Amino acid sequence: MSRMRDPKILIMAVAVALLACLPLFVNSYIVYIAAMICINALMALGFNFVIGFLGQLVFANTAFFGVGAYAYSILLMHVGLPFPLALLGACLAGGLIGLIVGLPALRLRGFELAIVTLAFNELMRWIYLHSGSIGGGASGMGLRPATLFGYELISDTSKYLMILVVTVIGIWMVSNIAKSTAGRAIVAVGANEFAASALSIPPARYNILAFALSGFFSAIAGALFAILLGRVAPESFGLNQLLLGFAMVMVGGLGTVAGPVLGAVLLTAAPEFLRSIPGAEEILFSVLLIGLLIFMPSGLFGGLAALFPSLRERHRGKLS
Amino acid sequence: MFGQLVLSGISQGAIYALVALGMTVLYRTTSVLNFGYGETFMLGAFSFYVFLKIAMLPFIVAALLTIVLMVIVGALTERFLIRPIMMRPHLLIAMMTIAISYLFRGATRIVWGKDVLPMPPVFDFPPIFVGDMVITSQSLVIMLAGAVLVIAFFAFFNLSALGKLMQAASHSPRGAALIGINVPLFSLCMWSLSAAIAAIAGILVAPVTLLYPDMGATTLLKAFAAMTLGGFGNLGGAVLGGLLLGISEQICGGYISTSFMDIFPYVVILVVLLIYPAGLLGRQEINRV
Repeated sequence: MSRMRDPKILIMAVAVALLACLPLFVNSYIVYIAAMICINALMALGFNFVIGFLGQLVFANTAFFGVGAYAYSILLMHVGLPFPLALLGACLAGGLIGLIVGLPALRLRGFELAIVTLAFNELMRWIYLHSGSIGGGASGMGLRPATLFGYELISDTSKYLMILVVTVIGIWMVSNIAKSTAGRAIVAVGANEFAASALSIPPARYNILAFALSGFFSAIAGALFAILLGRVAPESFGLNQLLLGFAMVMVGGLGTVAGPVLGAVLLTAAPEFLRSIPGAEEILFSVLLIGLLIFMPSGLFGGLAALFPSLRERHRGKLS
Repeated sequence: MFGQLVLSGISQGAIYALVALGMTVLYRTTSVLNFGYGETFMLGAFSFYVFLKIAMLPFIVAALLTIVLMVIVGALTERFLIRPIMMRPHLLIAMMTIAISYLFRGATRIVWGKDVLPMPPVFDFPPIFVGDMVITSQSLVIMLAGAVLVIAFFAFFNLSALGKLMQAASHSPRGAALIGINVPLFSLCMWSLSAAIAAIAGILVAPVTLLYPDMGATTLLKAFAAMTLGGFGNLGGAVLGGLLLGISEQICGGYISTSFMDIFPYVVILVVLLIYPAGLLGRQEINRV
């Protein structure tokens, strides 16, 4: 197989191995930030399915992220499922809620869709706030540590390693979906619905698929977020979280796989240096976004790929 | 109690109506939905606070300076941030407005930190009693100023030559350009006008609420609810929707539960858009891509 000799695969494998060794060299604060980068990368990839691949202005991703975190917490604490099953359940719940939000998106387009999904986010946050004993209400709830093969994930390092593994699998899945017929069908529907249906790609089906995938990956990120923090609370799922995910996808590059990951790395790490100045984080994000929108609308990764053609994400398959 | 709730609903709704009107003006004339409008409103309220309480200027001077400042901010935004990408897809322009909201919020936070600024009332007349209802001077000012502004706006839009020009250019930018209307200049004026409306809403609301950099987001969502309820993109609908939203929000808070009041606008958005997307005064229109 020529795939095995592909230098890119080798580079990726080495990179993952190096990332796994990270806790040996740095303190637990950096490990925590690295885990946060992984989570944000998955969240940005989930977001990217609708605003990047499908090209719709949809703001429901904080809701998906929150549903993942809450579904995980409820399955773990109230239903008593073991950690891997609770994680799986959270992803499925996210996919389901994505599917439900995707249904009205068949009728609403453009700004109406943006406003409905924005309202949906706030509605979900209100539900968390008034969830009573199930979700812990305004103060949220603490979670027992995840247990894997009899080993409790309590230290930042053990959580980081588990999150890294899930993230790598997630990125691998997203990149395969992007290359698959279904992934390209989503892009086609996003680019031109009528042309897509002329090619016998049913737009409704792929619209809903994009939403469900978006919900699925955002929910994984949400569940991992709950694990890393050891608790869930409504204030984590506000408008700021939404804008952060949005900025990551935009800065990295819409509609690519590497772009949102790159955006997540930059925009998770950079604010850590600016903590002492209130508002500096927002100024940095806005300057980045404005600069990119005017000069490099395809995002940082898109700009890099234009300079170095070997970086371009090729979609080899039936159509090309 | 009903009358009292309706009254406070009208004064609350007047603010929603103004913000929704400012957004609708921009949306109708340039087809840009400004996601940064909540922050424009917030910036207006903060500048008013600075002029009034820090520079100790009299009310009228502070209000005029705020409006002038926000007109300049609106014009600069259009010229340097929107015009370079005017020909790009709507999605990118919407994203630019989100970037602008980040910029305004960050700028405010750098100056003011995370503090919440309370603002003492500007007018100190005794409250007026009508039967068993109480009208505070502040809400009276809001209602009167809102009504005057809305009437002046509609008179200008429907009767003056510039208003007709606005209608023409919003109907077809290309056609307007062909008959010699300077469309970029027109778009600049619309951004300024819409920023001025945000400034007025900010001036009116500053004395009755607390000021904090994140206050724009909730106002933005309420304005969206008002626009949706009245009919998206309809100027009269924005005003009607704002008033109805304010009144029904208060009634809901008074008779059902105050915790439900917080999500009332979002429920309105979901119900209207999912069941009757045209809204009260709107028409079903072909979606722009």
